Amino acid sequence: MDATIFGAWVATGLTLLIFSFLYKDTPLFKFAEHLYVGVSIGYTIVKTYDTVILHLIIKPIVENGEFALLIPVAIGMLMLTRYVPKAAWMSRYAFAFIVGMGSGLAIPRTISSFILKQVEDTVRPLLSMAGPDGLTFSMNLLNPASNLNAIIILLGVSSVLFYFFFSIEHSGAGKAVARTGIMFLMISFGAGFGYTVMARMSLLIGRLTDLIEFSDASYGRPTIWLALLTIGALVFISRRTKPASPEV
Amino acid sequence: MTLSEKMLKIDRRIIFLMIGLCTLLPLLYPVGLPIKISAEVRGVYDHIESLPEGSVFFLSIDFDPASKPELYPQAIALLRHAFRKNLRVITLTLWVSGTGMADQIVTNVANEMGKEYGEDYAFLGWSPGGQAVIINMGQDLYSAFPSDYSGKPTKSLPVLEGVRNLKDVTYMVSLGAGRPGVEEWYVFGKDKYKFEMGGGCTGVMAPGLYPLLRSGQINGLIGGLRGAAEYESLIGQKGKAVAGMDAQSATHVAIIVLVIMCNLVYFSQRRTSRAQGQLG
Repeated sequence: MDATIFGAWVATGLTLLIFSFLYKDTPLFKFAEHLYVGVSIGYTIVKTYDTVILHLIIKPIVENGEFALLIPVAIGMLMLTRYVPKAAWMSRYAFAFIVGMGSGLAIPRTISSFILKQVEDTVRPLLSMAGPDGLTFSMNLLNPASNLNAIIILLGVSSVLFYFFFSIEHSGAGKAVARTGIMFLMISFGAGFGYTVMARMSLLIGRLTDLIEFSDASYGRPTIWLALLTIGALVFISRRTKPASPEV
Repeated sequence: MTLSEKMLKIDRRIIFLMIGLCTLLPLLYPVGLPIKISAEVRGVYDHIESLPEGSVFFLSIDFDPASKPELYPQAIALLRHAFRKNLRVITLTLWVSGTGMADQIVTNVANEMGKEYGEDYAFLGWSPGGQAVIINMGQDLYSAFPSDYSGKPTKSLPVLEGVRNLKDVTYMVSLGAGRPGVEEWYVFGKDKYKFEMGGGCTGVMAPGLYPLLRSGQINGLIGGLRGAAEYESLIGQKGKAVAGMDAQSATHVAIIVLVIMCNLVYFSQRRTSRAQGQLG
């Protein structure tokens, strides 16, 4: 059997088994779920072993004599001492190295990229200089660089920050500002939910597109045959698991 | 039992069936709804369009098969565009679980466009470390990837001639489904080594990346299947993303109707229970 056709049958079968959860949780779904986890982990282990252990450690040491690589290998091996209670303290050196290096790399770059650059963009001129006409104010909501949008962003950032400032009681004018902050947060959650719905529907579209493609005769119509088989299996499972009779 | 009570106790499988039909029917009988191109997707397209022949285009395929429906069409469309412009295409992945799929995407599109491995494009594969790999590439590309995915020494690839590190990259796009992805490429790549960059992401991630787009930290963003459909329309090669847009619109309408109905039922029930409370 051609590998493409075999792949189509496997992909169709597993998709239908996963979709069977929409009817109810059955051993069919459990089988596909466990297979997915197992294959993912297996693939990751094999790729990591091949790339890291073979190509980045053993080959350079054996073929090129790059013995300096033994230093990171030794630091990495210290992690394994966690499994030996008496020697577990040695793993702290490996963790210290990772935490120290990670923080050193991440902190300055994150401050530069996410705080300084974003503050710079938040505090934009509220009025623009436009040649001989002097100051202008653009009202176009669709233009991200318009003055009106600059004011909206400034209002949004200030009010949301105030909402999360708990040292002052949110009453009077403070209550109005905090409420404005909540409104901005709600709009943000709504946009996030909308995009999430779009993403989930895209995944469904992707699977259904493949199922339609695999219903073609050139693949041996796996969608039709396996759908019938899955429905039959679901009916069989439902009949076998009869509801428990009430106690007398 | 009132109608609103019946609606609230509706079997969830009926909703699944409804959404399933709203997705399946437009896929079987497409209507061809128009696709409007957004400024963020045009940003990536225009930049690639403006690049001279032979420029170095870096594509980081930072996703695995779980995000394939959204990001696979984006990768195909971007590669077709870059190959058509005769750019030097260098690809890699920061996701170990996406290595095989990334190789398949690059090889298939290159074969379709008649490009030769090593001369016109290269796939560097995966290297462990995430953000550390980006920093390493910023200093020395050949130290981060001494060999490509097939084991050939990267220094021997003609496509990488004159490319020592990320500073020699003309344009870079990360197609990310999480971490490491677009943000890491910006923070540890573009911000430090100063190359122009665009992004592509799943729909779930898009709202979080808009601040980077607005501030000009990235010059374009392709968001989800919708973004992929826009890019396919821009390059004039309609594929799986455009085919899915009718279904996407139909399911969105169905969900909006469901949200409105749920709210109407909820408020109607609340009013009824309040009225009963006053009577009691």
